[in-house]
Amino acid sequence: MAGAERPSPSPGEGSGRQAQVLCEDLQVVYPGEQGAKPVHALQDINLEVDEGQFISLIGPSGCGKSTLLRVLADLITPTGGTARINDHPPRTARLNREVGFVFQDAALLEWRRVLANVALPLELQGVPRAERQARARELIELVGLKGFERSYPRQLSGGMRQRAAIARAMSTSPKVMLMDEPFGALDQITRDRLNLELLELSQRQRMTVLFVTHSIREAVLLSDRVAVMSARPGRIIKLLEIDLPRPRTLESRETDAFERLARTGVHVLEEGFGVS
Amino acid sequence: MTRTSSTPIDTRERGWAGGRLGAALGVLLPPLAAFVVMAGVWEAAVLLFEIPAYILPAPSRIWVSLIKDGGSILGHTGITLFEAVAGFTIGSCLGALLGIAFAYSRILARGLLPYVIAANTIPVVAIAPIIILWFGHGIPSKIAVTAFLSFFPLALNMMKGLQSYDHTVMDVFHVAAASPWQRFAKMRLPSSLPYVFVGLKLNVTFSVIGAIIAEFVQADRGLGFVIMTAYRTLNMPRLWAAMLMSAIIGILFFALVALIERLLIPWHSSMRDRVRG
Ligand SMILES: Nc1ncnc2c1ncn2[C@@H]1O[C@H](COP(=O)(O)OP(=O)(O)OP(=O)(O)O)[C@@H](O)[C@H]1O
Ligand SMILES: [Mg+2]
Repeated sequence: MAGAERPSPSPGEGSGRQAQVLCEDLQVVYPGEQGAKPVHALQDINLEVDEGQFISLIGPSGCGKSTLLRVLADLITPTGGTARINDHPPRTARLNREVGFVFQDAALLEWRRVLANVALPLELQGVPRAERQARARELIELVGLKGFERSYPRQLSGGMRQRAAIARAMSTSPKVMLMDEPFGALDQITRDRLNLELLELSQRQRMTVLFVTHSIREAVLLSDRVAVMSARPGRIIKLLEIDLPRPRTLESRETDAFERLARTGVHVLEEGFGVS
Repeated sequence: MTRTSSTPIDTRERGWAGGRLGAALGVLLPPLAAFVVMAGVWEAAVLLFEIPAYILPAPSRIWVSLIKDGGSILGHTGITLFEAVAGFTIGSCLGALLGIAFAYSRILARGLLPYVIAANTIPVVAIAPIIILWFGHGIPSKIAVTAFLSFFPLALNMMKGLQSYDHTVMDVFHVAAASPWQRFAKMRLPSSLPYVFVGLKLNVTFSVIGAIIAEFVQADRGLGFVIMTAYRTLNMPRLWAAMLMSAIIGILFFALVALIERLLIPWHSSMRDRVRG
């Protein structure tokens, strides 16, 4: 698993105690367009995620989960506070290819075959053809798409497209993986299967994952911690520690400990919604 | 799963490639049959009702006229085709450049777009004499007319196409730290192709019409010239033969562009429907 070259070294590495993802008093206010009131999407977000941790973000629709990921991926600039990845501002981390992003919509290039889609970030980075294709093949096998290298995206099912998008996001071996409801549009069985694969992948690759979901059970199954957010302006109202033993399987969901955690999660979530 | 799953994809692709000849026949046969039937009815009607040739020449007369001076008409056809293709190419290239500029500069688009849309509605017959006055007699002025006609449709479609990308895909490029050039070449340009081909296909028709109308205004060769002289001498079979040739070059030119489209964007949904249907 030869990682892609990175243009600059990361000072955050090696010090050990450094949080890999750090948000301090993060605030995002979208300017109101055409007389509309400005939208306070995020308020006082404080979050530390250590290397290799899997953290889920859950909360009512419109509470700013996507906004938080988009700040970390340098897709939007926060209006207050700081966000840092490996002690860099998000922009530097992005230019160093330290961040991967999986969107709810697979967003594959329809005119490229799966192989070229997965290799895209490496191609954009200037990795030589043979090298990037070898890496892409590796990842395609890893996400269970072997045999579909030469298929076009339209020839794949929704779940397969999402796997290709995950492989693409992993191609530059990012340290931080941001996933915004990646399985939101899938049926339960496919979702379960991809959850299992993600469990295994994130452990094996020691990726730090920030995972947005609307399913508390999915969050509990996958995560080390679950951050529950409140409705607008979005704040983190509770960080649940998920101390279920690893490795986890789908059967982990049938334990009492799991049920307890899921129930707690639902209660906190309801608080966030303002349901009493 | 991994071993067996590659098979259906392969067969699908093979089936598609193998069915190419059959598909081509399926596309060509119905219009050919319709052509034969129409020509037969036409011929019979002219004979039956004794329609004079200056009103409606029979297909056989048109054919004879075409064969008799086929060399000359073919030469004129070649000139018109050359004018159409050259004007199409120049106008489309310049139009594409303006479309790119519009897509990248909002100020430029805001300032000039109304004029481009207005210019796009100017009738050829009005603009052709002016352009011919500027560019003089001969082939270059005809090319200028067709280039003018091809310019605006491509500028508008290129701009629209470059703006039609998927925003999540753009986010993917952003997260992957793509350069502006990479965003253009690997993302916005490929997504613009379906629009670009809409513009190019419009231009095929416009450029043949444009060349002929420019020749109406002033010319000593080309199909427009043949049509005008045949009309003055009431040589209707020759006029009809010239019209037939103009239709043929239009169809061939269009087929060429459609073929290139098919090769370049087989992934596009409009292409997919055609493969299936
Ligand atoms: N580009 C934007 N301009 C203005 N307001 C925005 C923009 N993007 C998001 N918002 C607003 O910010 C708030 C948070 O949006 P965000 O997409 O982060 O929510 P979310 O938690 O991801 O919701 P969901 O669970 O439905 O995906 C919403 O109220 C939304 O209306
Ligand atoms: Mg969202």
